[in-house]
Amino acid sequence: MESRVLKPILAVYVALFILFLYGPFFILTILSFQQGPEGGPQFPIIEWSTYWYRHIFGLTEASRVAPLPVGQAMTRSLILAFMTMVTSTVLGVMSAQAFRKKFKGSDIVFYLIVLGMITPGLLTGLGVALVSKNIFNVDRHWWSTAFVSHVVYTFPFAFLVMLAILNRFDASVEEASWSLGVSPMRTFRKVTFPLIFPGVLSSMLFAFTLSYDEFSRTLLSSNEQTLPLAIYGTFAVEIHPNIFAFGVLTTLFSFSLLAVYAILMGLSVRRAKKIAIQEEIG
Amino acid sequence: MAVPAKTSSTTAWWLIAPGVIWMTLFLVIPILMIVYVSFWTQTTFKIESTLTLASWQQFFASDTYITSLFTTVRIWLIVLIATLVIGYPTALYVGLFVKNKTLSTILLVICVIPFWTSFLIRVLAWRPMLGKEGAINIILQKFGIISAPIEALLFTELSVIIGMTQIYCVFMVGPIAFMLGRIDPNIIEASRDLGAGFWRIFRKIIFPLSLPGVVVGAIFVSVMVLGEFATASALSGRKVNLLGNIIVTQVGSLKWALASVVGVILTIVMGIVVALFLRIVDLRREL
Repeated sequence: MESRVLKPILAVYVALFILFLYGPFFILTILSFQQGPEGGPQFPIIEWSTYWYRHIFGLTEASRVAPLPVGQAMTRSLILAFMTMVTSTVLGVMSAQAFRKKFKGSDIVFYLIVLGMITPGLLTGLGVALVSKNIFNVDRHWWSTAFVSHVVYTFPFAFLVMLAILNRFDASVEEASWSLGVSPMRTFRKVTFPLIFPGVLSSMLFAFTLSYDEFSRTLLSSNEQTLPLAIYGTFAVEIHPNIFAFGVLTTLFSFSLLAVYAILMGLSVRRAKKIAIQEEIG
Repeated sequence: MAVPAKTSSTTAWWLIAPGVIWMTLFLVIPILMIVYVSFWTQTTFKIESTLTLASWQQFFASDTYITSLFTTVRIWLIVLIATLVIGYPTALYVGLFVKNKTLSTILLVICVIPFWTSFLIRVLAWRPMLGKEGAINIILQKFGIISAPIEALLFTELSVIIGMTQIYCVFMVGPIAFMLGRIDPNIIEASRDLGAGFWRIFRKIIFPLSLPGVVVGAIFVSVMVLGEFATASALSGRKVNLLGNIIVTQVGSLKWALASVVGVILTIVMGIVVALFLRIVDLRREL
């Protein structure tokens, strides 16, 4: 391989690729510090200011730019993301547990679950809306129809993550616990759960962030606005740098979730290593 | 103490039942319902369960809808090729060229992080990039490459394609990098010792071995792009109407039956695309 020539070229290419991925967000961040309220959503920066950040929190005087309608939507999104996270993680752990032994029809069940993450959100949303309207005759709400369609999307992620974890799992520790007369519930709590904790944590991260940012499923399955719907609503009218500032804040929120995840994950890996070392010494 | 086989199978069913019921109630029945409702009778504000082909005829008789079907397929093809061409070299570097495991993980994480941030904000971020007074035009003018700003960058089909390519690229990079990372370096070493040049090694060994990754990536990208509507409406100024956009507008005006017809057509198109990709590679054997 002429890797001496090719490798540096590819390295430069990857740098450009990362620029392509992050460049737009970088520009958006710069423009969120535009002067307000006259400064528009484009260059040049008239004067650096935090006006639009204060604008989001209602700390500026009233101007022609209406405040972003995100307060209530934010609360809904956070509660919805939490509900989705708990439900899909529980479903994911249970289903993956079932898959540890091959059972009749496991192939079909596998595809049924995975179907949830590859079906486009628009179709899930449309279908759930049709069913609720024409079969159950119930209204669409963020906590009912939107919630179930979010779980349809996030449960497969949790399931696949848990399946990957359980595949590498040594079943003999559980059997040892059982044979010592520990009840299955207690064995799960004391033996199984600590071992599958990294998977549970990853499932929770997937479910929470995907639900928090979920847009296409919610659009047709909820009558009220969640955060992404509120953001989408502002696209139709003239945009102002306040939406950029909001984008920076919500991205920082996502990043901090990732950071918390990374820290917890690091701790659990460290703990697992410690136990392994102790066992070896013992 | 071994648990008898019969009880363990029953336990498995109890564990799996909630998930299966959930997916049946909220995914399978809804999809079947879309098919069913597409044959319902649409009046001005209501739908009735009297079966008719009216909405199907309405779809195929309308130039607008047929055009949007072709637009959807065209944009899907362009974005698919763009994500592959742009993503492959990155995957090649991350999966094959970087020997340091930590560095390759870090690069992969950098590529994947945007997946955890708001999709809509990522779409929105292209507006100040591509506009007439956007970053790209300003930079190009500063370097004297162009004298007048390019207006075709925003609110056109091109802006939709650029936006989608950036957003969905990572779904191509991930699976390909994964497959490339599994290639035994000894095979490449051996063929190099036998005098094969890089291009030949790439064509005969690297690319064929990465093909399952390409297929998985292509399926991800295809399904997502075909079901898209938000990028199109936010970056094209409503000039590009995909099938997804039609569904949203039809539901907005309570035309549920027609929205369902479009939904069924979308599902059929996706089914064909996925089936075609699966014919290229037998994924169950390769993965």
